[in-house]
Amino acid sequence: MASAMVKGGGSRLIKSVSAALGTRFYAKVATGTDIVSAAPNVSLQKARTWDEGIASKFSTTPLKDIFKDKKVVIFGLPGAYTGVCSNKHVPPYKENIDKFKAKGIDSVICVAVNDPYTMNAWAEKLQAKEAIDFYGDFDGSFHKSLDLVTDLSGALLGTRSERYIIYPP
Amino acid sequence: MVVNMAATIAVGDVIPDGTLAYLDDDSKPQSVSIHSLAAANKVIIFGVPGAFTPTCSLKHVPGFIERAEELKGKGVDEIICISVNDPFVMNSWAKTFPENKHVKFLADGAAKYTHALGLELDLTEKGLGVRSKRFALLVEDLKVKVANVEKVGEFTVSSAEEIIKAL
Repeated sequence: MASAMVKGGGSRLIKSVSAALGTRFYAKVATGTDIVSAAPNVSLQKARTWDEGIASKFSTTPLKDIFKDKKVVIFGLPGAYTGVCSNKHVPPYKENIDKFKAKGIDSVICVAVNDPYTMNAWAEKLQAKEAIDFYGDFDGSFHKSLDLVTDLSGALLGTRSERYIIYPP
Repeated sequence: MVVNMAATIAVGDVIPDGTLAYLDDDSKPQSVSIHSLAAANKVIIFGVPGAFTPTCSLKHVPGFIERAEELKGKGVDEIICISVNDPFVMNSWAKTFPENKHVKFLADGAAKYTHALGLELDLTEKGLGVRSKRFALLVEDLKVKVANVEKVGEFTVSSAEEIIKAL
């Protein structure tokens, strides 16, 4: 079962990461929520090259495969290649990955409403692919299921995800 | 997914106006209208399904970059690449072509302009959503002189080489 807590309190590690980010978090996905139940039939697309896509027949990864029997931290951000996301949000996660692992977290996942090829190119540019698993929610279905969407049409981005973190109890 | 298609753009049509986006030198999003770039000019507009995908990056765009001087020499005022991507992604993708001097990379993030041209392509199965077909248009004084729309998965008529033949 994959329980989720959206940052409100939390461990010192999460606090130091969030202090580095200087961001607030929302509690739309309430503490104690089972993510897989909240978003049934939702899949994400692992960041990959087009060739890898062809080889895998453009397969998607259901949420239960990401969460099953694992302690996973997922953080979401509005957009690949945008300023805060690239310069401030991803780097602290990459730099602190060992601390997450030491606390028993199996994987740290970054998700955005982008296609998986753009996510892949961005992850390579940030040299973060070894530390973090990047996934694309290209049609927003994951974020819509969890009510974590926001309209960034003003910034010419369209419907994107909020900036958030979800972590196990 | 059901999409109401506009009629596909064809030779003899007046190119529709529309707003596309890009990042300026300060990385701020800006908008530009197609008519402001195309009115009283000879322009090439070529469309690609997606930034950071292979045919687009390795063949379609480089062809226009390599032949840009030649196209300019034949009176082409603007060479515009459009894709259904946001301007941050287009800007970053454009930077992967440091040798580029003339091709403008413009973002049609919500696919509105692609829709106005009747050139949408549903690539949801590939994880891309609704994108643009691969195409190349030659437009003079807002009138479409050449409309080369590629069959899905191919790369022949929409190349720089093909459009040079029309100049």
